[in-house]
Parts: sequence; structure tokens; C-alpha cells
Amino acid sequence: MFRITATLGLAAALALPSLAMAQQAPAPAWAQGRPASMANSTLAPVPPKLTVTPPDQVPVNRIRLPEGFKAELWAHGMPGARMMALGSNGTVFVGTRTIGRVYAVTDQGGQRQVRIIAQGLKQPNGVAFRDGALYVVAINQVLRYDNIESKLDNPGTPVDLTSAFALPTEEHHGWKFTTFGPDGKLYMQVGAPCNICEIDENRHALLVRFNPDGSGREIVARGVRNSVGMAHHPQTGQLWFTSNGRDWAGEDEPEDILGVVQRMGEHFGFPYCHAGTMQDPDIKGGNCSEYSPPALKLGPHVAALGMRFYTGSMFPAEYRNNIFIARHGSWNRTQRSGYDVVRVSFDAQGRPQMQPFMTGLLEGNNFYGRPTDVQQLPDGSLLVSDEQSGAIYRITYQR
Amino acid sequence: MRAARILGAAAVLAAAFASAAPAADAGRGRALAEERHCITCHGADGRSSTPEIPSLAGMPDQVVVLQMIIMREGLRVVPPMMEFAKGLTDSQIEDLGAYFASLPPGPPDDRGPRDPAKMQAGAALAERLRCGVCHLPDYRGREQMPRLAGQREDYLLHAMRQYRDNRRTGTDTQMNAVLYGLSDADLAALAHYMAQQ
Repeated sequence: MFRITATLGLAAALALPSLAMAQQAPAPAWAQGRPASMANSTLAPVPPKLTVTPPDQVPVNRIRLPEGFKAELWAHGMPGARMMALGSNGTVFVGTRTIGRVYAVTDQGGQRQVRIIAQGLKQPNGVAFRDGALYVVAINQVLRYDNIESKLDNPGTPVDLTSAFALPTEEHHGWKFTTFGPDGKLYMQVGAPCNICEIDENRHALLVRFNPDGSGREIVARGVRNSVGMAHHPQTGQLWFTSNGRDWAGEDEPEDILGVVQRMGEHFGFPYCHAGTMQDPDIKGGNCSEYSPPALKLGPHVAALGMRFYTGSMFPAEYRNNIFIARHGSWNRTQRSGYDVVRVSFDAQGRPQMQPFMTGLLEGNNFYGRPTDVQQLPDGSLLVSDEQSGAIYRITYQR
Repeated sequence: MRAARILGAAAVLAAAFASAAPAADAGRGRALAEERHCITCHGADGRSSTPEIPSLAGMPDQVVVLQMIIMREGLRVVPPMMEFAKGLTDSQIEDLGAYFASLPPGPPDDRGPRDPAKMQAGAALAERLRCGVCHLPDYRGREQMPRLAGQREDYLLHAMRQYRDNRRTGTDTQMNAVLYGLSDADLAALAHYMAQQ
């Protein structure tokens, strides 16, 4: 499985206590890859907020958008709201991490109704919908709720596909983003079980795809540290993805990336090379020249998560086939960055470029929200989930 | 000097999520704590005199809130607590957090004398594991990271054993990793050192 080193390999140790116990104790996660000069840094992950935020405290009025766009509070009262999936009858399903719930939001004559349809799960971040069924992916758990939109009040017992998918059990970067491709396969990531460590390249830091029943696992991409957002290009069908860079290697590097898979199994560099150009200061072995570069760098520590291509007709024509990316916001950086939604457009040569889209939730070093995922509605408006307030905003355009 | 710098940074972090006036109310929390008999085990003044039950006086409010939520949701299973957590609303839990945070912290009445050898071993471990980075140099805790100073020694040992043996996680797995591979004697020294702060 893992190559356990003296300083790295926490997850291996947790997964194999009897074996690892006999070896030297690994560095704890917060110390992995942290240089001695930063040993006393007080930078720490932002605590989750797991209680309801009253609607009058949701910071929708702070949101800034390009001219002609408007944000409204579309749904609220969903602590921990993260990834979204759209049902064929219009239900928006919402996954979470720490609070262990899955929500369903329905529109009843202009009012939204929020239901908790699953709870007590271990980080059910991944949600995807196909053929009437909701797929929920938690840590080492895959559940399928058939005909879910006809039984939101009583979803019943899901079909348990956990053993068929046989996902790794590590909690560190073990939560999933999941989505169906145009090929009908279920795509997801398997993150690196650490900040920085050597890994089995066939088991971790992957993008993978399965048949919907969990059979036919294939590695789509390697060397991807942790992707919590991916989408297939509406015209080329290629898989585009975000991935989060490592911590404790500098305030301004490495950057999170936007990548595109050009051939099955291609390698994006983790743990040896970050964002195409930065050799890892701790893990030696591979040269950046051996690995695929990103399509675009998205900023250091910004936590680029959910992304979707825009295919609607509500927004101006130049937004068609652009990418919206939610940047959850940094913790491993003195000056916070991210906490917004960016737009990636393409120039005449097809080169991607990033520009601000939804801002206003970061002022100075104070943040007011954490955009986590984006989801287009059938009318062409765009939903943005805010994990901090447990809310979903809807962005519309009127010329 | 170093401590002052870290405290300054922590204050900045704590203020980083700026929200409207807090809805939590310590007065309501006190009434609820009495009604739900929290004080029977956690102590009338929030300082527990019950073995393996933590003191909550002066605990960061987020610690109480987050732990109560994950117990209510059945994600952290503590059998004696399940009944108490059941049915509490989010705002009731926030009130409880505000109440316990408002109580002056202090050691339990039955705290024993210092053991110099354990103090020395505990101090060395705390330095090596950098407990003070997250829990702050005086171990009063912040945000989701609990107060350790003056906590019941038997509770600290109990909690750390659970983390080390992967029988408990917090809102993340940091503590499991920090305590990985420590011996029972190490944990006992750490618990003694923190309890004596």
C-alpha cells in the first residue's frame, strides 16, 4: 500500500495500526510538510458551522456581481450545505460533511421547502442524480435512493452499493465529489490521505469512474491531490476538474488548479510536482517535466471546489460554455483569499482565463461566507451554495 | 514574547468570521442547563466532580456547540449524553454554548497534588506535540479546540485514549493524528500536566 516514511504517512499509520505501531510514529497531519520555520504558526482550518443561520443573517446583501446580475437568497436553514445535484423534476439535492446530512430542496410556487432526507452519515459530500435515483457518496459508503423525487417525505432504505465500490476508508481527504459523465459512468475523486505524502498511485490522488452499480472501476487521472469539483465539457465531453494544492509550502504557492483530462490515466504530478511547475520541497522522485500541466492556475490556498460549465441562455451569450468555480476560501495563508465564485472564459485560441464573478464575502481579512458549489437551474439561473450560512443563493441576469 | 504574538494572531482568527450580533443567550442557556440537569454530572458551577465527565466552565462556545450537534446527530456516540442531546434545537444548543463559556473556569475541587515527574514529562510532550499552537499557549482553547487547562485529569486521559485508539474523532481527525503512537504513560503525563495548569 503506502511507503511509510519517517516524517510522512499518517494515513498509512491510521489504516494499519498494527504494522505501523512497530515503526517510528509519523508526523501528525497538522505537521505534515510544515517547515520548522512555521512550526508555531497559528494558521488552522476554519471550524465548521453546524447550526442554522437565520435568513436575516445570511449575507446575501454583501454579494457583488457584474452589471445586470442579481443574487437572491434561494434556500436557507441547511447547516453545512455543500455539493449540489439537480433531479429531473427540479429537486436540488445537497450534500454535507461534518453534520452528516443530505438535504432536498423543492420549489413550491416560488417558496422553497427544505427536507433532511438522510442523516448520520460520515461526510456525505458527494451527490449525483440519474434515472430517477439519487446517489450519495460518503466516506467509504455509496447509497442509491431509487425514485427519490416521488418519496422525499419518506425516502426509505437506500440500496447499499458500498461493497461494490470498495472505496478506501481513510477520512483525510476521504470525502467525495461525484458526478455522472455523458458516458453514464459515475465519476469521483479519491484524494491523497494526507497533506503531502508518498502514495500508491493506483489507490490515492486519483480521478476514477465506475459503472453506476460500482463495477468496472477505471482510473481516469493520477497525481491529483484532491479534486472536489469536476464537470464534462458540454461540447468536447472532456473531463475538467479542480484540485487543491498542498499546505505549508508558502503563502503564494502552490496554486490550486483547473485541469482537463486529455487521455485516460494521465498524471498531474502529485506528490512530486504541483501545478505543473513547482517541485515539492519534501517529496523527491519525479520531475515536473514528466507530468501534465494544469489548464489554469486558480490561486494559492483558495480551495477551488465545485465547478460547472454554463450552458443556459439566461446569461449573456459570452458566458456560454464558460466555467463557474466556487472558491471556498483559504486557511493556510495569512491574508485570506478566495471566498468567491470565479468565471473561466476562453480566448480565441481556446486558452482559459479567470475573472471575478461573485465577490463581496471577503472584506480585508474577515469573511462572511464560503461558496462551495455551483449548479445551473433549467431556466439558466445559477445556484451557489454557501457552507458557512447553510444557504443557497440564486443568481439571475436581466439586461 | 512568543506567547503574546500567538495570542494576538488567535484573536485575529477568532474575529475573522464576522457575523451579526450573536443570537445565543447565556441566560436561556443557564435555565436550559438546569432543566436538563447538565449540572448533575458537569457540576453546579460547570466544574465537574464526576470521574471522566468534563468540566465545561470557560469552554469556548463552539466546542460545546459542535460536540452537542454531532452527539445529537448520532455521529459521536456517548451513551449517557444521547438522551440529553436528543430534541435540542440549534438555538438551544447555542444558548448552552454561551452559558458554559460564560462560567469562570477553574480546576475541580478534588484535584490532587502535583507530581513533579509527571509534570516534567507532560511539559516536554506538550512542547514536542505543540499542543499550544491550537489550544493556545495557556491551553484555554479557541474556536473548535477545547480548554485543557484545569480540566479533570481522568477525563483528559479518557478522551485522549479514545482519540489515540481511533474510537472518537472530533470535527476532523487532527487529534487522532497528534496522539498516534503515544503510550498510556505518555497520555497520563499529558493529562496530569494539562489538569494542573
